[in-house]
Amino acid sequence: MNYINTEIDHVAVVLRKRLKSLEPKSNIMKAVELKALADQLKSIPPHERPDFGRQLNELRNELMAQVNSQAQENSTLPPIDVTAPIDINVTKHPELLPSSNGSAHPLTVEIDRIVDIYARMGFSAVESRQLDDDFHMFTSLNFPEDHPARDEYDTFMTKQTDSKGSPLIAPAHTSVMQTRILKANKHLLETGQSIAYVVPGRIFRNEDLDARHEHTFHQLEGIYVAQNVTIGNLIAVLTTFFESYYGKTMEIKTNPFYFPFTEPSLEFSIACPFCDKAGCKICGEGWLEMLGCGMINPNVLQIAGIDPEKYNGFAWGGGIDRLVMIKDNIEDVRHFHSAKLDFLRQF
Amino acid sequence: MKVSLNWVKQFIDFELPPIEELVQLVGARLGVVEQVINYGQSYQKVVIVRVETVQKHPNADRLNICFVNDGGVIDGVDRDANGLVQIVCGAANLREGMLAAWLPPGSIVPSTYYADQFSMETRELRGVVSNGMLASPKELAFSEDHEGILEVDIMAEPGSRLTDIYQLDDYVIDIENKMFTHRPDCFGQLGVAREIAGIMGRPFKSPDWYLDNTNVNNSAVNALPFELKNEIPGLVPRIVVAALGGTVIKPSPVIVQSYLQRVGIRPINNVVDVTNYIMMLTGQPLHAYDYDKVKALDGNDYATLTVRHPQNDETLSLLNGKTITPRSSSIIIASQTVAIGLGGVMGGADTEVGPDTKNILLECATFDMYSIRRTSMAHGLFSEAVSRFNKGQSPSQNGYIMQEAISMLQMQAGAVVDGKIQDFNQSTKSQPNDGVAITVDLINSRLGSQLDTAKIKHTLTNVEFAVDNQTENLLINPPFWRTDIHIAEDIIEEVGRLYGYDNLPVILPHREMRPVAANPMLAFKSTVRQIMAAQGANEVLTYSFVHGKLLDAVGQSRQNAFEISNALSPDLQYYRLTILPGLLEKVQPNLRAGYDRFVLFELGRTHMVNHSLDEQGLPEELHMFAAVLAQADKLAGPGAAYFELKHQLDSLAFQLGFKLTYTATEKLPDYNVTAPFDHDRSALVNVSGTDIFLGIIGEFKAGVRSKLKLPVHSAGFEIDTDALLKASQEGKTYRQVSKYPYVEQDICLRVPLKTNYQSVYDVVNEALVEQNNDQSTTTLAPLDIYQKDDYKQITLRYSIASLERTMTTAEVAVLLDSAASVAAAKLSAVRV
Repeated sequence: MNYINTEIDHVAVVLRKRLKSLEPKSNIMKAVELKALADQLKSIPPHERPDFGRQLNELRNELMAQVNSQAQENSTLPPIDVTAPIDINVTKHPELLPSSNGSAHPLTVEIDRIVDIYARMGFSAVESRQLDDDFHMFTSLNFPEDHPARDEYDTFMTKQTDSKGSPLIAPAHTSVMQTRILKANKHLLETGQSIAYVVPGRIFRNEDLDARHEHTFHQLEGIYVAQNVTIGNLIAVLTTFFESYYGKTMEIKTNPFYFPFTEPSLEFSIACPFCDKAGCKICGEGWLEMLGCGMINPNVLQIAGIDPEKYNGFAWGGGIDRLVMIKDNIEDVRHFHSAKLDFLRQF
Repeated sequence: MKVSLNWVKQFIDFELPPIEELVQLVGARLGVVEQVINYGQSYQKVVIVRVETVQKHPNADRLNICFVNDGGVIDGVDRDANGLVQIVCGAANLREGMLAAWLPPGSIVPSTYYADQFSMETRELRGVVSNGMLASPKELAFSEDHEGILEVDIMAEPGSRLTDIYQLDDYVIDIENKMFTHRPDCFGQLGVAREIAGIMGRPFKSPDWYLDNTNVNNSAVNALPFELKNEIPGLVPRIVVAALGGTVIKPSPVIVQSYLQRVGIRPINNVVDVTNYIMMLTGQPLHAYDYDKVKALDGNDYATLTVRHPQNDETLSLLNGKTITPRSSSIIIASQTVAIGLGGVMGGADTEVGPDTKNILLECATFDMYSIRRTSMAHGLFSEAVSRFNKGQSPSQNGYIMQEAISMLQMQAGAVVDGKIQDFNQSTKSQPNDGVAITVDLINSRLGSQLDTAKIKHTLTNVEFAVDNQTENLLINPPFWRTDIHIAEDIIEEVGRLYGYDNLPVILPHREMRPVAANPMLAFKSTVRQIMAAQGANEVLTYSFVHGKLLDAVGQSRQNAFEISNALSPDLQYYRLTILPGLLEKVQPNLRAGYDRFVLFELGRTHMVNHSLDEQGLPEELHMFAAVLAQADKLAGPGAAYFELKHQLDSLAFQLGFKLTYTATEKLPDYNVTAPFDHDRSALVNVSGTDIFLGIIGEFKAGVRSKLKLPVHSAGFEIDTDALLKASQEGKTYRQVSKYPYVEQDICLRVPLKTNYQSVYDVVNEALVEQNNDQSTTTLAPLDIYQKDDYKQITLRYSIASLERTMTTAEVAVLLDSAASVAAAKLSAVRV
């Protein structure tokens, strides 16, 4: 690198040479030549100062970068025999950490537990994708282009596009798997079996972080398709799950809702299992809203190649992070992805 | 969506149940009620008074002393001989004979009721006692008007309660908007009133004007000529415009202002208030332009409204004070020459109805919901009109609504229709023309109910659906405002919802006793995390997105990573290429928190641009498993961190039933996954005896360590979880248990420095295996590796037990001797 100012360029040449033999390298920053250039700055005409100052800074940065890279090279460690089970000249063999230090993440543990309950009820599990396209996020779920329902999902999008030229999407719900599951299992319907799946997965919403909001969280989707499925079936399945999950009988309520991919759509709440609806710190006024659900819209079945005249079904989706927060009284949702051992080793 | 129950009551002919019961019913059958506001509670003590006398305050220029007649209803205040109450008041509009709202001592100023309550008292103002005060519209929270005191504009006896005069004993319920995404009709009080009737099983009848098909009377006069042009009927299928003259702009009647205020709309003036009132009532937004301002823009002797797309670089000043360049495909309302409004989104500032407006153009249009949404998003403009137009209001209502608006304007602003009302209408009916056919059976089979034809018919006709039934085959015609009803499922939803989902039988589905399909990967990940946790490691979850600087720090290329285009934070700039960098970031904070020694691991997914696509044409998702081991450098460890983490991985492999082979390479292959690793201290990992490649383990480049502030004693691995699962499915190799004792002997071989451990081990092991006839069970394990300047000595311990007899030490010594000689031949090893 050359500096336009001849004085600075001259100093640069001198100092580069000196750096090769200087120890410790960082002393180069204290060189008298640098000090002299800095002093000179005060005496040169004001209109030349900015340019001179900038070049002097560049020189400092160049030297600093060299010092740093030298320091790094110096900290490079000698090669080891990577095929060996132990290091050379040591008496102690490597040991595992104490078991009592170990922990599985509370969210993954909970997902296992939930999936297990549903498995016992007859639901298979498949995990959700983490990078998907517009078709699976919206179109296959009966969201028309530019439908206001899309506004409810603050989706992350990528600069890279899919084959149709639309941005790829970080899924904002586990429902991205619905069409895939229906397509892959529709043969079951023809043999009189049902399609019964749950989908745990990581999902993303473009939100600012705070103690109650995460941009990354986990959801569990459920989907059931057979013949003559009723809303009562849906409510029975969900109620049964929560009764198993909390180990007690449950009072539930539903509110009508709107999702493009189910009709009718409902919000499903349970009477707070911690205060029996009396109202407490966890629930507020006695009810916990747990998930959204509904009867699968016939358009969604049709897109998956299933005849909605013959078969129908239901689907639901709910957050897992909140279940764990409620259960363990966790005060801040950000702990989950913090990788803080203070947090993790409690589980 | 805020709903005033008093407003609702104007359209129903039955009593509403107590508020708690109503809220529960609305929640279960219409949508979640987010808030219930007891609107009247802040007005309970406000009394209507007549101002009987007004006189100047002796000590203050701007104040007056008045005596008011409260009908004697308030106790505990001083009265004059005539029973009048003395109040000091500074309002300019105070005059004898007027009716005003009195806040007596002990009452709370309504506008302060919900925050920092201000309580009235009897106190002296400049030496004169004032018993409370007369309130301004602002103090009553009716509007922002603080110019003078409220002029009660309805005839009332002194002593009447303000709540009775203005119907303030009201509840306002706020229903979650999301529920109404597909229900444009429920964005009006009328729609919600109809629903409330429906869910209570009562028949609802829309007011005549909303159903009347007659045309508005056009007037013979034509003093306000205008031209209506629609260049984009595809996006604006219907637009009705009327010119009205003789308008006198003033504040709306107090009761109109109060109703607007209850549902969240700020009163402005009588004309704008009428458009808002009609919108809050029906869900249909209207817009009023100042006729003369529109006309003046073109210099013609008539006004022009043109519906079109914007022209190049055309700018538009909006009512909110901003000037925008509308997106090219947005809907513009223009005069002949100038853009004056962003159709369906926001009106323009140039033609705003103001205090001097005499003549208006009133517009009632239908805009394409998708176009409205795109425009609103593109310009970040959100208005009451947008949230209604983007739900798809029915074009069928425009004529009726125009008629009602005109009659309100006539009453409240003296406005009179001038000339012909123009109705550009190319709308097509949004519901199926021949109705929705459905059977009672289908409804019952989907709901699991046993409703009879009559019950279903009632449920639907209550909310003004037309039901034609000869038999159990129903033909259902939705009313024009239900633009959401198209298919049988829509009808099933209506019946189920209005009847009450909570009234339907709840029964679990039946299934065959067939095991459900297994998900090996889910089960396997669970196993891995349990083993790792038992080995003292901690499972973490880190974000799928990383900062570009993290990719730089570990030497991964940003070009390979999917880039997020709309992240709120630069921390979420890219999809992670591999798991490990995210873990490395978490090392330093944990060290700082006082944890000296730990292993963090994560089972996750990664994506890269430079990877293949799956069968759906989407980027392949890789299941990856990564871990980092770190130990504060102040703790002396037994050798390099590499060996500790390797031990973790070997133990895991052992638990999963296989062994691993570690291979050094001259240079690491240039993958995203290998980027952070120091090739001199890293190995590629394979499953022994197979061709399964797992990944990489090792320590980090010095630069990575320094940038991420890792201790020298740190190591990591990143391996392919799918490959690991595959290896675990191969099955364990079992060794028969011997009845005879083990004989243990050591062999120590001196080899050149460049000879690696594995080759020594393999040579010795093979030699021993070769000489054994499989009738024994053996182990060969490392004891230590001693290295001097120019050689190293590797000590292995051999234990053997025959399955048939007790072995002698001499026999075993022979085996080792022979292994030593093979090693000498092959590796120039010297036994020591």
